[in-house]
Amino acid sequence: MIKDITIGQYIPADTPVHNLDPRSKIIITFVFITALFLVNTFFGYIYILAFMGIALGLSKISPKYLFRGLKPLVFIIVLTAILNIFMTEGEIIYKLWKLTITKEGLIQAAFMCIRLVFLITGASLLTLTTSPIALTDGIEKLLNPFKKIGVPAHELAMMMTIALRFIPTLLEETDKIMKAQMARGADFESGNMIARAKAMVPLLVPLFISAFRRADELAMAMEARCYRGGDKRTRMKQLKFEMRDIYASIITIAFGGLIIWSRF
Amino acid sequence: MSIKVENLSYIYMKDTVFEHKALDDVSFEIKDGEFLGLIGHTGSGKSTLIQHLNGLMKPTSGKVFIDEDDINSKTTVKKTIRERVGLVFQYPEHQLFEETVFRDVAYGPKNLGLDDNEIENRVRFALDMVKLDYNEIKDISPFDLSGGQKRRVAIAGVLAMKPKILILDEPTAGLDPRGRDEILGEIKELHETHKITVILVSHSMEDIAKLVDKIIVMNKGKIVFIDKPSVIFRESLMLESIGLGVPQATKLARELKEKGLDIGECLSIEDAKLQILKVLRSKKND
Amino acid sequence: MTNMIKTESVKHEYTSHTGKSIMALNGIDISIEKGEFVAILGHNGSGKSTLAKHFNALLLPNSGTIMVKNIDTKNEEMLWEIRQIAGMVFQNPDNQIVATIVEEDVAFGPENLAVESKEIRKRVDEALKAVDMYEYRKHGPHLLSGGQKQRIAIAGIIAMKPECIILDEPTAMLDPSGRKEVIDTIMKLNQEEGITIVLITHYMDEAVNADRVYVMEDGMLVMDGTPKDVFSQVEKMKSLGLDVPQVTEICHELRKEGIKLPADILTVEEMVVELCRLK
Repeated sequence: MIKDITIGQYIPADTPVHNLDPRSKIIITFVFITALFLVNTFFGYIYILAFMGIALGLSKISPKYLFRGLKPLVFIIVLTAILNIFMTEGEIIYKLWKLTITKEGLIQAAFMCIRLVFLITGASLLTLTTSPIALTDGIEKLLNPFKKIGVPAHELAMMMTIALRFIPTLLEETDKIMKAQMARGADFESGNMIARAKAMVPLLVPLFISAFRRADELAMAMEARCYRGGDKRTRMKQLKFEMRDIYASIITIAFGGLIIWSRF
Repeated sequence: MSIKVENLSYIYMKDTVFEHKALDDVSFEIKDGEFLGLIGHTGSGKSTLIQHLNGLMKPTSGKVFIDEDDINSKTTVKKTIRERVGLVFQYPEHQLFEETVFRDVAYGPKNLGLDDNEIENRVRFALDMVKLDYNEIKDISPFDLSGGQKRRVAIAGVLAMKPKILILDEPTAGLDPRGRDEILGEIKELHETHKITVILVSHSMEDIAKLVDKIIVMNKGKIVFIDKPSVIFRESLMLESIGLGVPQATKLARELKEKGLDIGECLSIEDAKLQILKVLRSKKND
Repeated sequence: MTNMIKTESVKHEYTSHTGKSIMALNGIDISIEKGEFVAILGHNGSGKSTLAKHFNALLLPNSGTIMVKNIDTKNEEMLWEIRQIAGMVFQNPDNQIVATIVEEDVAFGPENLAVESKEIRKRVDEALKAVDMYEYRKHGPHLLSGGQKQRIAIAGIIAMKPECIILDEPTAMLDPSGRKEVIDTIMKLNQEEGITIVLITHYMDEAVNADRVYVMEDGMLVMDGTPKDVFSQVEKMKSLGLDVPQVTEICHELRKEGIKLPADILTVEEMVVELCRLK
């Protein structure tokens, strides 16, 4: 299951999409999502599909891989479909006890599901083509203008970086502590909800203690390496807009225009 | 209590690009009451192997028997296996979680469903085995103890299960020489007075040479040697080629022999001292 | 010779959470020369880690002074200079790597020092080559071995162009091959780059190659000298809860039996030569 989650995974490659400035990619994704919610006809989805197709083609990510990312979210998609099918009023096609299926409901369900699929694959495409570090850099830079109104841009980005850095470490640790407690006869799998929640204590307490110890040591190591917040800091890799960012922007603007035009 | 492993294989992340044979057709037998050393460099499959011995990991193929019971058969209750085979992980102090030492050590016995009286007996026994004073320490928070004491409380937590087989994965990692000697001394005593079968995973050839009756050497998921320490450490070149060493005393004896001064085989400081003295004194008498 | 680190009657006292006051350092006078390789030995709780943290102003003394390249560590204005001059590597390799990519982590220090971006790139590449980890520059740190992670941590310090590196039990959590990688790297930096090394450890075999060995006990320096001076005092080392090399101990035992051997044998090779002479 865990290995199916493609959101947040990064596949390094040398393609025009990978090489775009992360700021461009974040903004483009933002425009894409906005456009997705502006689309009000099935016909409008053709534009979305075309845009997505171009991006996917250029990124050389296999569509199969992209769609595998939907697997863990199938439940949400199915739930959306069911709710729409049964909750929409209109011309009744089929009646089952108190539940009715309407023509409008079916159309609405299909419409919403397509939107969800595009939303998830679009966001996945961003993270698949952008390294976590570039992503956090991009977010930091984009949020920088909002520093004046109190948005802690650097701190947010640093927190994201550290969180990403320690996820694998903590997962490994969870597995180790779980096994150590199982060796002492712990049972994490049987019993009712309360018994299971209680069984988690011997896992969670050591995990929290270890996370705090790590945080403490990391803070000291960062201090020893002269870390003193975001001011005056330089970066090894500086973000730079290039020609390809301009091309991408033009395509995106055209795409946005098309979507708005399609509404009329 | 004996352990028998038959054609054990474990494939890590099967059918993915990360597929990796962590254990490759491993077979061996450990007799009741043996003290066994398990050596191999990091990634040789030691940790995977020991986790198979109490059913924490399921083999891809092959069987593990504890006293004739196939531990992975459907009729075997996992808890009874974990009661018989105690496993102390690396840095076991990281698993402490209770408010008092008593409650932490009692966690295992409680999971076994024992009554309060028996639980108390077990906690007393376990703390006694690791040389901690029951009355002094039972109400203290384990987090207020020193590093070495925490480690001993954690080991007591496994001993309180009263296992017949005890497996320890580098129990002295990170300890200073004094802490190391204390822990190893306690393990030795446990083996001698309670006849517990012990499997010790260690990177220290000196410690292994000092303690064990038999050594298993692992490399790339396979067992390359299984024999007495004196036989194993004869193969110093082979051991070095797979990233392991021999005790300094053994190395000394080997190099002396190359220079024409044969003092025989040595595993410890005591061996080396006596054998060098013997050779030197006999030469003088010639 | 110039002083890299010099301390004068440094005391450090703290109150444990049980309310007991503990004298972690009780009058430390130590003087470390530029370019020296110094090892500080001591069992857990002897105060050696506390001392190390004083060397780059992570801790300040209650009384006494510590001078790093003639800068008083109490001088707050010079804090960042002190930490740039005297870099520090810690015990747990996992808990000192900040970034998700090796080269980004090595860049962390120079970025904090506001070094210009081209210069950072150059320093990062040099530092990674110096610890022999250049080919891993694009890797995620969680996929590396303990020894490799520790070398990345060292590279992160080298990229700050320090004159001295303090290593606080850098090998305590590593396997023998990881320990060797780290010690070889430290030795190379000391010999080839002339970086002053202060190695805190309780593994005696790592101290054998040092220029000078200090032994700590109860917050005080109780022994000091060359490795030969220190390790030849087998009984005293043992009483302090420390090891000596096995050959040194064998030699000591043989001397007690009246065999004429020098007391300061530290390696198997020396021992073989001496014994063959007796034959």
